[in-house]
Amino acid sequence: MKLINKHIEKDGSGHVTVCPEDDEDMWHLYNLIQEGDRVRAPAIRRIQNVSTTGTVDSRRIRLHLTLAVARVTWSPSAAPGADSGAANGAAGAAPAASATVEVSGRVAEENQHVKLGAFHTLDIEANKNVRIEKDAGGWDSVALARVEESCVPGRGAEVAAIVCGEGTAIFCLLSEHMTVVLQRLEVPVPRKISNQSSAHEKGLARFYQNLYTSFLRHVPYSSPSLRAIVIASPGWVRDAVFDFIMAEASRTSNKALLTARNKFIKVHVNSPHVHSLVEALKSPEIASQMKETKFAREGLMLDKFFKMLASDEMRAWYGPDHVALAADRGAIGTLLISDELFRSSDAATRKKFVGIVEDVKQKGGEVLIFSSMHESGQQLNQLTGIAAILTFPLDVEVVEAEEREAREEEERRKAEEGEAVEAS
Amino acid sequence: MAGLNLNDDAPMDVIPEEPVKPPAAIEKLIEEAKATLIAQENGEKRSLSMVVVGHVDAGKSTMMGRLLYELGRMDEKKRVANERGSAKVGKSSFSWAWELDGTQEERERGITMDIALQTLNTPHRVITILDAPGHRDFIPNMISGASQADSALLVVDAAVGEFEAGFERGGQTREHLLLVRSLGVTQVIVAVNKLDQVEWSKSRYDEICNLLKPFLAQSGFHPTKTQFVPVAAMEGINLSQPPPAASPLHSWYKGPTLVDLLDALEPPTRDINAPLRFPISNVFKGATSGIAVSGRVCGGIIVPGERLRIVPGDESAVVKAIDSDGDSLPWAGAGSNVNVTLTGVDPISLNVGSVLCREGQTVPLVSSFTAKIIVFDIQIPITAGTSVELFHHSRDVPASISRLISVLDRSNGSVIKNKPRVLTKNMSAEVEVSLRSSTYSGPASRALPIPLEPFSVNKEMGRILIRRGGETIGAGVVLELLT
Repeated sequence: MKLINKHIEKDGSGHVTVCPEDDEDMWHLYNLIQEGDRVRAPAIRRIQNVSTTGTVDSRRIRLHLTLAVARVTWSPSAAPGADSGAANGAAGAAPAASATVEVSGRVAEENQHVKLGAFHTLDIEANKNVRIEKDAGGWDSVALARVEESCVPGRGAEVAAIVCGEGTAIFCLLSEHMTVVLQRLEVPVPRKISNQSSAHEKGLARFYQNLYTSFLRHVPYSSPSLRAIVIASPGWVRDAVFDFIMAEASRTSNKALLTARNKFIKVHVNSPHVHSLVEALKSPEIASQMKETKFAREGLMLDKFFKMLASDEMRAWYGPDHVALAADRGAIGTLLISDELFRSSDAATRKKFVGIVEDVKQKGGEVLIFSSMHESGQQLNQLTGIAAILTFPLDVEVVEAEEREAREEEERRKAEEGEAVEAS
Repeated sequence: MAGLNLNDDAPMDVIPEEPVKPPAAIEKLIEEAKATLIAQENGEKRSLSMVVVGHVDAGKSTMMGRLLYELGRMDEKKRVANERGSAKVGKSSFSWAWELDGTQEERERGITMDIALQTLNTPHRVITILDAPGHRDFIPNMISGASQADSALLVVDAAVGEFEAGFERGGQTREHLLLVRSLGVTQVIVAVNKLDQVEWSKSRYDEICNLLKPFLAQSGFHPTKTQFVPVAAMEGINLSQPPPAASPLHSWYKGPTLVDLLDALEPPTRDINAPLRFPISNVFKGATSGIAVSGRVCGGIIVPGERLRIVPGDESAVVKAIDSDGDSLPWAGAGSNVNVTLTGVDPISLNVGSVLCREGQTVPLVSSFTAKIIVFDIQIPITAGTSVELFHHSRDVPASISRLISVLDRSNGSVIKNKPRVLTKNMSAEVEVSLRSSTYSGPASRALPIPLEPFSVNKEMGRILIRRGGETIGAGVVLELLT
């Protein structure tokens, strides 16, 4: 994303103009734009004019519209559950921005064609400037950090991953903030039968062949931005798959694929489902190579949280209320929070979470904002979306009791004050 | 309206797609089958199925290969062929296992990767053997096999260090035992194998028995239903014949042989009056025509000629033939492991994990349910939202523990604590499980439901296993179907 213009007042109001370029930028925009903001972007609108004689003249014109946002929707690029055969971009070329963000609301600035208050739905387009204007307090530290992060040039290191089992394969493309499931391949492989027939071998051969064709279609193996191609599976399927891909590449003398040989990493995982991606990404082979990427860090940190939960339950807390209590006590060493929580339409809720983040940062704690387009983010979402590793153990029940006491104390004091007022 | 076929008074001249056997005939066949089954219960040869489990390289496949040979199921010619073949690739120690490890990859690696199905004939029993893989990566296959079994044979390696490797945390001896018990198996025979490698030491045998006995009891196996037997599978000692006088085993072991124990296994009672449930564990091309599926009848009775629904999906298929171990059967009742040849169906609609049901008595489809689970010996506790894999018969799907409802007392089932924060090891609890959709398009996308029934309705269809990161973290029974 390119930052075109930025003007922010001290009170957190102001506007930012950016130019989204790819799918990931769309994801950033989806997370930046909130209900109540004003968004200015190019749009196409059908204009109807009724002339004095009663003829209706209708035409489409291109214009810039400013909307007061009422709703933002996001649809990821590859259709969910896209079955085999879904063509999606040629091999080698990075797929164009195909994820879409739709912003709907009332027009907030009148122009000669559109009246104030008319409804419109903007389809945010790639490579076209978008201006986002927020009211006082809208540009909080989290939003600004996201703008900054999204406009850093030269990110976009990508990793392709194939999670496979016997007869199933899932092709994923991971970028900094997103995991896109490109294809789900399922080939029926008969299981072994006692009367030694070759049905199993035949099924496997068919599976490898299909996998190879899908691989060529979906994985941009020759693109320089693709850092690694991870093949993850239980058992020995990954070895067989890798050998097959390489054998086919040399048979068809696919030079580009042969030179990409050292991009391949084979990883053992325990199940052939997509959620094994987290397991694959925290394996030592990968963790050492891409420590600095966001998804690897997220995976490692989530793992650390679960390990902490196992070893010292009092230092691993989750749930918004509990984490808020821990933050009050300055106990948070690492905060794990999902971007989903900031997308809340309720400004007060967002403010609360931003408050926790700022508080933790100020006290020297580490904050990781998980992207819910990654498997690790999804898992965090299931775990209420917020979790914290504390620097010192705190017992949930003790803390809750303390809170209760404090509240009672408060009430008593108020009651006493009330009495005192009455008495006087 | 007429075009949409919505008016009720439209002529209802429905022509049956193909001549299906009239229900009366099927009814008669079912009656007949029931009579035979009752007669069989009192008769001599009773059938049951047994899963062979144990740590990797304990010698499960080898023992089964040897047993097949000794009981005359494998002829001399085949034995010689296997011996030659394995010697040729320099793996002569796998010669007996080759009979069960049929695929090329299994033979190359010298490891069982998927269930092998064989039949053993002992004097009083016909035993369907499911030889399970011991390697931890193939536990899904092992579960698929164990869910089709009535009893279990646990093979342990007596060699020093090997038994310990299998029995300690993370070893498959432990996990397999818990799995088969959770899947409803109550009888287990423990074969202490490779005793020849420890000079037939009685103290080693006793040591192993004494280590296993408390664990078996703790896992829920009744001591009267667990038997121990010392064997050496490779040499074929104490399998079908008592140890020869020359063997050191002869001096201290006078008990039954392995086959004697197998012969005394108690077949469970079969519920053939229940609605038909046939979970598919394998789909392959039929021997002659059509498409064949294999699996175990988990309730009711299946007869040729009937049209059955395939759940999930809208498809149905006609049962053309039923066979088991090469013999065609007139019917198959609950508890039998059979191959069913189907016609009139596109193979694409048959998946491993689908269930064949009678029309009108289809199995419900759910994507979330409550279950009572027992948490195994785990390191990382279960929190609300834990991502898991849910195993039900031969199907495994991604799921999550969406809600922790209560912690229960293990002995009497009363509620100890409502809404716990975490579940730690050896707890018993009531939880809500939801299937996960495997896309990232937000909460709107719904997971595909799977066929499931509460435990109170059908025991075999109501058992589930929960695994995470290659480790079984819990097992349980379905209480209530939600959506």
